[in-house]
Amino acid sequence: MPDTTMAGTLLADKIRLDSVGKNFRMRGKIIEALQPVDLSVRTEEFIALVGPSGCGKSTILNLVAGLMPASSGRVLYDGAPVAGVNRRVGYMTQKDTLLPWRNTADNVRIALELNCRAMPKADAARRVAQMIAQVGLCGFETHFPAELSGGMRKRAALARTLIYQPETLLMDEPFGALDAQLKLVMLDQLQRLTRDRRMTVLFVTHDLAEAITLADRIVIFSGRPGRIRSVHDIDLPRPRDVFRIRFTPEFARLNEQLWDELQDDVIAGAAT
Amino acid sequence: MIWQIALGVALLAAWEVIGRNGGGNFVSRPSLIALRIAAWFAGPIYPHLLTTLFELMAGMTIGCALGILAGLALGRAPALAAVLQPVIIGMYSVPLVALAPLFIMFFGLGALPKIVLVASVTFFLLFFHSFAGSRRIDQDQVDALELMGATRFEIFRKVVAPASTVWIIGGIKIALPYALVATVTGELLATRAGLGFLLSQAGEQYDMASLYGVLLILMVLGLLLSEAWSRVETHLLRWRHANA
Repeated sequence: MPDTTMAGTLLADKIRLDSVGKNFRMRGKIIEALQPVDLSVRTEEFIALVGPSGCGKSTILNLVAGLMPASSGRVLYDGAPVAGVNRRVGYMTQKDTLLPWRNTADNVRIALELNCRAMPKADAARRVAQMIAQVGLCGFETHFPAELSGGMRKRAALARTLIYQPETLLMDEPFGALDAQLKLVMLDQLQRLTRDRRMTVLFVTHDLAEAITLADRIVIFSGRPGRIRSVHDIDLPRPRDVFRIRFTPEFARLNEQLWDELQDDVIAGAAT
Repeated sequence: MIWQIALGVALLAAWEVIGRNGGGNFVSRPSLIALRIAAWFAGPIYPHLLTTLFELMAGMTIGCALGILAGLALGRAPALAAVLQPVIIGMYSVPLVALAPLFIMFFGLGALPKIVLVASVTFFLLFFHSFAGSRRIDQDQVDALELMGATRFEIFRKVVAPASTVWIIGGIKIALPYALVATVTGELLATRAGLGFLLSQAGEQYDMASLYGVLLILMVLGLLLSEAWSRVETHLLRWRHANA
């Protein structure tokens, strides 16, 4: 990676993968999910990982979250190896993990109930109300997850993750299942909330437009076994108008250029 | 509904007719049974009813609490569970009601042996149900809480325990009739009070009206308990019934 050559940037790296590879054992056979990759993520950077399914993008998030150990190489967070669950990150998985027996407000509050950030009930209630308003879920506080639409569940999951202000956010195709319009609304909220809070974001998606809209850098993966194909700076000015940026010539140019990179793998991936 | 009531009336009428026309000593008659039950509820039944209910509730409370705790704890400690499994299966393979004489020898003729019997029956049912429940926890939910900084105990309290309630509630539902059986069995063997005592007394005296009367009361008691628990279940699991 070119960014890691200067000592200054090295120190500012929030996340660094040093030839990190991951193998899985399935029915006695060893499957290489991720070929050794190098990647560094600077503090407050928004990085999108794009590629066909099965290219190891989600594996990278799991490694950074410390939910699984790397098979080779080192995962560094703030310069220290990730050993065990990484509590500095918030992780929004593909599947939302709202607790079905808690209503929206109780789900959003759960992180504030933990001993590690114990606070007076009134404070927690105030922050919950604020967070619910920020993701546009007012009026649904007492609804159970089963009573929410897919989009609302995603918002609730986002609110639940952002409320405890993790410095880094890992997102695995969080809005994959949403319709196009709703997705734009969510992207707008996400941009606002993460930029306001100066969060570092690792965002996995297979939607190139989504990636260009949000990211500072896009890492394109090729599939099976996963490896990094190329890395691109997205120098669109911020803040970006999520709803209109896709009609600008710069966006069209990036979209075309990145699509050229991606298409062989996507077509190959679709054929399998 | 009308036909069901009609059938019930017809059956009772037939029973009454057979009873009045030399049905023999063991048939009795609905009218006699009704009179007996009415006389009981004028006063003498209450100490017996309360004794039985007390033994049942006390036994179930103890058995449920211990069973749930043990089930959840072992469910989260697979290594320990593997070690203890043969012991638990072995103990469960003993027909527990057969332990009643033993408990009576240990604990005398009062309420205690029945409570212990009910508790041990309930314990195993609840143990197996909550064990199964805690093994079906969604690991992603656990991971999510762990990333937020939850301790093991907090994960247990906020994910494992509530996720297991579905199983625990089902276990209690199944345990209720077994617990009633255990209570009455204990009382049949040796006691001075309780519905089982009334039953054994009636049997010894060939008092058929009392015998059928107690059976009827036990049936209604069983139905009421299970209905009451169904309501609790609907309330506790209302998030499951919630649909957009």
